[in-house]
Amino acid sequence: MIFEKVKEVIANQLELDPETITMESSLIDDLQADSLDVMDMIMQFEEEFDIEVDEDSLDEIKTVGDIVNYFEKNVK
Amino acid sequence: MTIYLDAMGGDNAPVQIIEGAVAAVAEYGINVTLIGDEAVINNVFENRGLSRSGIDIINATEKVEMTEEPVAAVRKKKDSPMVRGALLVKGSHEDAFISAGSTGAVLAAATLYCGRIKGVSRPALGTLVNIKKPVMVLDNGANADCRPEYLDQFARMGAAYIKAAAGVEDPKVGLLNIGTEDIKGNALIKEAFGLLRDDPKVNFVGNVEASGVFDSDADVVVCDGFSGNILVKAVEGTAKLTFGIVKDVLMGGALNKLAALIIKKDLYEKKDLLDPRAYGGAPLLGTNATVIKAHGNSDATAIKNAIRQADKLVRAGMLSALEEAIKQQEENR
Repeated sequence: MIFEKVKEVIANQLELDPETITMESSLIDDLQADSLDVMDMIMQFEEEFDIEVDEDSLDEIKTVGDIVNYFEKNVK
Repeated sequence: MTIYLDAMGGDNAPVQIIEGAVAAVAEYGINVTLIGDEAVINNVFENRGLSRSGIDIINATEKVEMTEEPVAAVRKKKDSPMVRGALLVKGSHEDAFISAGSTGAVLAAATLYCGRIKGVSRPALGTLVNIKKPVMVLDNGANADCRPEYLDQFARMGAAYIKAAAGVEDPKVGLLNIGTEDIKGNALIKEAFGLLRDDPKVNFVGNVEASGVFDSDADVVVCDGFSGNILVKAVEGTAKLTFGIVKDVLMGGALNKLAALIIKKDLYEKKDLLDPRAYGGAPLLGTNATVIKAHGNSDATAIKNAIRQADKLVRAGMLSALEEAIKQQEENR
């Protein structure tokens, strides 16, 4: 469920075919996002799921899976 | 209308920034709200004996430094003038925000906290130069890497801007290239050429070489941010060098000095044509707000001009014009 939402936002932000986005995709290396794109998307997820990602976890987010796992773990 | 001004951003902050705001109130009657460390701002007013008439202050305790990684800094420093300013103008058609701080941080703060106009892929920084006529160059450094569609979007935004800001009807758009022939350029430029040529809402006049940017038919010249930044800085540097050479000649002997005396006034008037301070700042086009990035080394005159520019853009309805230009592009897809 969260993966579908994450995929939709990423596809929209980076103008990609959602089918090319997998849990393993690296945001920067595979999906060609820059640091501003990554933060922009994370802030969209924060608004969508109504939680704030803590600063330490921000640095750990490298792949689509990292985003999905963070929100799955922390969204109540 | 409220013009919000980052009092802490730029090489000459806060003194020159504050003096610029005071000058804008005195000369143009435009009220300004300064955002920054209140104690520091108050000190400047007291030490310089400046009038507070028409000036409001919003206290912001943090500051984004030039050396910080922009995205992380604006994420973390929510009580910085950049973040406070961006949040205050988000979605507003009545207000504007000006900062002379780090370009990357202004771009990041505006993108993250104001959001983008619906349909905009990437916001772009524009530079308006008025030598023979107003010419808008964009992108000037917000996007080092671009896709061809971005350049088409820059064309629409640049045209909407120059129409609103300088009253240019049906603006002509050129594509920065290494030759004027249709087949010239790299992969990005060749593809962008096709998109611009086929876009019914863009009055495309073809390729423009760097040497002809300010002397061609085009009112708007689009390029990727990497090339645009090099172009604008090369022009600035060359202008500075040229005036240095002219000055050396005019000081090179008694007769030359006499000539200098005669032409000094005219010459200095022309110098302003190439002076970035005279134009105020670079508008950031595509975010959901009116945001101006003033030159990092802005003095009070440059800030005063940026305030006048912001006032003019809000009055001209620039944000609505950009929204309309992008909406039409979406509908054409």
